[in-house]
Amino acid sequence: MKTLLALVLMAAPAFADTATVVNARIGPGYQRFAATAAELADTAADTCAREVLIPLFNDTFDAWIAVAHIRIGPVEDDGRGLAIAFWPDTRGTGKRVLDELTQGTAPLDGFERQSVAARGLFALERLLYDPAYSSARGCEVIGAAATDLQRMSGAILEEWYRFAGLMLTAGAPGNHRFLTREEATQAIYTQIMTGLAFNADMRLGRPMGSFDHPRPERAEARLSQRSLRNLRLSLAAIEADALSLKPDIPRTFQAMEKARRFADRMDDPDFADAATPEGWLKLEILQQLIHAVIEAAQNEIGGALGIGAGFNTTDGD
Amino acid sequence: MATRRLVLAGLLASAVPRVGWADAGSPAWLAAARLPDDSHALHGIASDGQILFRIPLPARGHAAAAHPTRPEAVAFARSPGTYALVIDCATGTLRARLTPPEGRQFNGHGAFSQDGTVLWTSEVLAETSEGRVGVWDARSYRRMGEFPSGGIGPHEIRRIPGTDTLVVANGGIRTDPQDRSKLNIDAMRPNLCYLTDGMVQDVVELPDFAQLSIRHLALRGDAVAFAMQWEGDPAEPVPLLGIHRRGTAPTLCWPAEAEMFAMRSYAGSIAWADDGRIGLTSPPGGVVMIHAADGTPVERHARPDASGIAPAPGGFAITDGGGSICVLRDRLSPLTREDVAWDNHLVAIDSTIARSG
Repeated sequence: MKTLLALVLMAAPAFADTATVVNARIGPGYQRFAATAAELADTAADTCAREVLIPLFNDTFDAWIAVAHIRIGPVEDDGRGLAIAFWPDTRGTGKRVLDELTQGTAPLDGFERQSVAARGLFALERLLYDPAYSSARGCEVIGAAATDLQRMSGAILEEWYRFAGLMLTAGAPGNHRFLTREEATQAIYTQIMTGLAFNADMRLGRPMGSFDHPRPERAEARLSQRSLRNLRLSLAAIEADALSLKPDIPRTFQAMEKARRFADRMDDPDFADAATPEGWLKLEILQQLIHAVIEAAQNEIGGALGIGAGFNTTDGD
Repeated sequence: MATRRLVLAGLLASAVPRVGWADAGSPAWLAAARLPDDSHALHGIASDGQILFRIPLPARGHAAAAHPTRPEAVAFARSPGTYALVIDCATGTLRARLTPPEGRQFNGHGAFSQDGTVLWTSEVLAETSEGRVGVWDARSYRRMGEFPSGGIGPHEIRRIPGTDTLVVANGGIRTDPQDRSKLNIDAMRPNLCYLTDGMVQDVVELPDFAQLSIRHLALRGDAVAFAMQWEGDPAEPVPLLGIHRRGTAPTLCWPAEAEMFAMRSYAGSIAWADDGRIGLTSPPGGVVMIHAADGTPVERHARPDASGIAPAPGGFAITDGGGSICVLRDRLSPLTREDVAWDNHLVAIDSTIARSG
């Protein structure tokens, strides 16, 4: 009997807990994001005092980063994900449109129809941290942007439950979004992997540029000095998601802890030190540590569950 | 069912001199796929999604070309390709194996002439990625010659319907002959090249977007829709669809702002539906993007690892790496699912051409 049980256990396929990620991570994450965005918008309706709004802005940004790597479901509708955090803005569209808005007198209703580059957290960052926008009109734009952000966060939360239902009934008849259970698991896995790659290639890669031509001015959220903070929070959130999806991932866990410990020891909030050889090398080490996480996760999560980045996704032709 | 059909088809093939696509069960589409044992095969798929035949391939496939009248398909290897197999789809037998001449590689695509007597293959000189169109006798499948494709790294080639003019997507990317790594991203000059009898008729470039590699083509009348992949900064929003008519400037079709990164800088395949809609797939984006005939973006559909797309009655058929075959009319819905990973392309067998002989 014992032998039989052991055999059954051995034969059991590697287990992916998609439901825990969906129910215990993403849902509550959107709840926090909606709650913080609501508080920011409510407060911005009364005051534009920076010392009041900035902490609420940072709470909202923190809450967003915890779910920012999830790019499936309602966050992908109507360009919400882009509008909430449009970075990098390679063409400087956000600044241009905000300049027009703050210098103009046109009514600000219909803010949700503005360019995605001029909305969301990066618009609010500019409005709150750049003294050039401290006019009365700037205050009105803050109110409009905060309301728009609250609206989007609320819509995502509301619509998430329906989408979560599709993920949890993956493969069931009539579910045309996820045709097999693997597709839902793979969707979560893909968010984890692209989230890790975003931290390595974008959050670190853009300010790094090259050793001979570092680009610290390209760091994310420099104005609010959140570049390193965003990276740390993102790694922590992705780690929690990965462990929820598949608790038994010792090598990935080890690699993640290593990367997080290294990031925790860094003292370069906006990656300005990318301009110095020593600072640049630190960013490169962190980038390599994240790549090591990606490699470990590919084996321990992707390999073990028999899912990859996609047969055609990895082909590129 | 498929087996019985094949047997019947075999009997018919021996009894009647003229064999057509009906003898292969009238497949609507061809697609290569990886099987659960990691081998590869070309599949004939009926319009209801059923697999009519499955013919082994020696290595990973890419696209195929269907003979206009005979039930014959040429299955191309994924580039850099060392093989192309001519398959008799009625009997499931190998008719010929094409090997590129010394120093050349197949690039995954090919096209037959209007009368079906010539097969053209997309090729590169392995050392330089300089483009060539291989010319093969489509009876004996002996090589008759070749001519320059008009650019670097040609990918898909198509014949303009009703003519023997070829349009070639010269992707512009020079790749390492062994590992496909890209060698000239800063100096790319992709183009769309029209050729008749090997003579260049027209060359269309995109000077403002030199790093947009033109790779895949869909034709409707005299219009050519082309799908691209962006080799520049992935944070730059770019159009991945273009439409061209000879004698006019190409139109670049931007996605809606909210969808500007939905395709992750990459289009995998393109198809033009009978109702005029243009569909593009992006495996990394896990999306199918639909545009109107004039290129206006219309909608996005989520489908993980979607890649193959071809016209289907009332819309499109779409294959993905998870083994599903879906149809997209008003919405995306599953048709069938096989335990395979469908490869990049779904190739429609043009029944109108087949009927007209």
